[in-house]
Amino acid sequence: MSHFTLSRRHVLMGLAASTALPGMSFAQGATPVSGGTLKISHSTRIATLNVLSLSGPAEYPCIDMLYSGLTRTGLDNQPHPDLATEWSANDDATEFTFILREGVTFHDGTPFTADDVVATYEAILNPDIPSAARSVLKMVEKVEALDDLTVKFTLSAPFADLPYSTAHANARILSRAALEGDLSKLDTTANGTGPFKLETYDSARMVRLVKNETYYKPGQPYLDAVEMMLFPDLAAETANFLSGATDVMLTVQQADFQRISDSAGVEAQQVGSGRYVCVVMRQDQEPWNDVRVRKAFGMAVDRELLVEVILEGLGRPAYDSIVAPEIEYATDKPVIPYDPEAARALLAEAGYPDGLKVTLVASDRPAIRAQTAIAIQQTAGAAGFDVEIKTMPHDTYLAEEWMKGDFYIGYWGMQPTIDATYNLLLTSDASYQDTEWKNEAFDALVAEGRSTVDPEKRAEIYAKAQALELEQSPYIVPFFEDVLTASRETTVDWHIAPISRFFFIEDVWMNKA
Amino acid sequence: MRKIFKSPTGIIGVILLTIVLFATVFGPWIAPYDPQAFDARARLQGPSMAHWLGTDQYGRDLLSRILSGAPSTVAFGLGATVLGVGVGSVIGVIAGVAGGRTDSIIMRILDGMLAMPELLFTLLIVTFLGGGTTQAMLAVAVTFTPGMARIARSAVLSVRTREYVLAAQARGESRAWIVGREVLPNALGPIIVEATIRVSFAIMIGATLGFLGLGAQPPSTEWGLMVAEARQFMFRNPWCVAVPGLAIAITALGFNLFGDALRDAFDPKRGH
Repeated sequence: MSHFTLSRRHVLMGLAASTALPGMSFAQGATPVSGGTLKISHSTRIATLNVLSLSGPAEYPCIDMLYSGLTRTGLDNQPHPDLATEWSANDDATEFTFILREGVTFHDGTPFTADDVVATYEAILNPDIPSAARSVLKMVEKVEALDDLTVKFTLSAPFADLPYSTAHANARILSRAALEGDLSKLDTTANGTGPFKLETYDSARMVRLVKNETYYKPGQPYLDAVEMMLFPDLAAETANFLSGATDVMLTVQQADFQRISDSAGVEAQQVGSGRYVCVVMRQDQEPWNDVRVRKAFGMAVDRELLVEVILEGLGRPAYDSIVAPEIEYATDKPVIPYDPEAARALLAEAGYPDGLKVTLVASDRPAIRAQTAIAIQQTAGAAGFDVEIKTMPHDTYLAEEWMKGDFYIGYWGMQPTIDATYNLLLTSDASYQDTEWKNEAFDALVAEGRSTVDPEKRAEIYAKAQALELEQSPYIVPFFEDVLTASRETTVDWHIAPISRFFFIEDVWMNKA
Repeated sequence: MRKIFKSPTGIIGVILLTIVLFATVFGPWIAPYDPQAFDARARLQGPSMAHWLGTDQYGRDLLSRILSGAPSTVAFGLGATVLGVGVGSVIGVIAGVAGGRTDSIIMRILDGMLAMPELLFTLLIVTFLGGGTTQAMLAVAVTFTPGMARIARSAVLSVRTREYVLAAQARGESRAWIVGREVLPNALGPIIVEATIRVSFAIMIGATLGFLGLGAQPPSTEWGLMVAEARQFMFRNPWCVAVPGLAIAITALGFNLFGDALRDAFDPKRGH
């Protein structure tokens, strides 16, 4: 076993930024062995299993095991067939036809048909039902079943990224029966088509899932069962993992990563991701309405230092674009060096020769927000920005500061596409438009990109949009944070997609020989 | 005062307190580095010539942070105690002097408050008021009030029936005069002793709240917060947890031992 694990580990350690290897087929021909129970530790509660609305970090692996979607986001960040085997669009991207997989059944044995797809999407689009995927599917006008295995989506506006939207983690297919019944039952029960079935749900302690013998991938899943074990205390979680009581640590803290990856029999993974912290500057008022002040602040942030000090080097510096390199159509962003002198000069040119006194608000959860604020305060001081930090409880921040304040720290997860990324924050009618940047040329480019099917033309359009973003610096984005996870070497093929909502646990097997 | 130096605990207490008070008064000036200055090249280091107590996760000098955090930490303890003791004593004296039904009502209410564990009660108040240094200080003061009121009341009761008070009453002095000139000065001893000991509790509760994220907020150098921030890095540099922890312990111990010695000194039975 030892030669196998050693080389595997080295390959993984080198995968810092380039995880775009679908399937990761370097298991060196080892044949998966069936059996065993996988114990996954996590530190946040699994408060609900309601696939339509949940958003907890430990809830995503559960629904990834319990349910399947039409499409599923792979490790390469692209949509792959799941319950739909193939799909096609008309030329102007307003009609999509999905061909469904044959012979799939729900966990209770009822067959999966196009009617369930229609029922699920009607529920997602129903404004009366809380649903996390609606924002990426709002252009869907009509979903109809052409026959038992064909579904047609009609859109109100062209949208070339629909297969990405159907791969949204919260857009998994439920049965019509479940949706027409009591929806509160979805919190604690699950009848999906995924590789595992729910056995025990105890949100305070453990969620146990068992193998779905009728899963559509033949011979899979390999595991007999998966146990999601809650450890509210991080030190206890690490100790249990290192002692072998658990097989996988869902999330590893930056401060612990080195210690864990140095331990024997353990494989720590660092997955380049598009999660970022940003500095929000409200641009309908002084001083942030002046692009020179924003640019000056950008030069006053020592990105290398922030990556080193806050992320322990487990991330990459970002250069004021919210589009991560993993996202399709992302352009290479020019480096913005830390240059306090130039920042001071630009600040003087903008009318602040004596520097600028600002109050930066940071919520206390998660700690990375306040840490970033403290680090930025340090590096910006030399550039003439006198930053005062105001930390506040997260609830107070959400009620009083978020979407309202003029200078605060934001923290966002990765989006699957550039369209979703921009429509979340930067377009004038974005879901969480908090900068008041509102650039019409930018809006037009994003809308054009959304309705263009030809990849080359899209690349061109999105390159222009990103150039505009860089020119205007609506956000200061200091770094992208890597997703960190760890597994014991006996656990083979444990992966997390960059978007950290997809886990492919049906591929995992235990090598306990 | 001489009695305090007779007991070894008293001497230790005085020495510790002197160190702490020196750091509180002069700390910010004698700190060798800027307590907030990052040094990416010297992160999580143990003690060395450059950094006597080592550095934290951002490369900030721990000695400088401890020194600069001393005033706020000690001020928190003193502030909360003075506030709690002040309010508690007034309530206790009123209850003790008034007697009768007023006394019963006040004391039953305070007994109810005393039934709740101190830390739990503080947490409840902080949750209600929201986090922050001022709120935490208020919470500790409120928690101290019932206990102090009890002590003040019992001190007043023991004095109230003494001959000099009865003599003042016979002279026809006003009630306020009797309380101010005869009762209070003689009841003050136990209150001061209790207050001194309570400062150490206040500092520890303050540090606890800071540790739980309910007191001071980053980048403050409050000691409890320093322990909380450094906890993640405990395995890589134990110093960044041990140093602020020790500072809290020394300060609490100093006030506690000093209070003990003060009590012994005031107690005529233990005089010899």
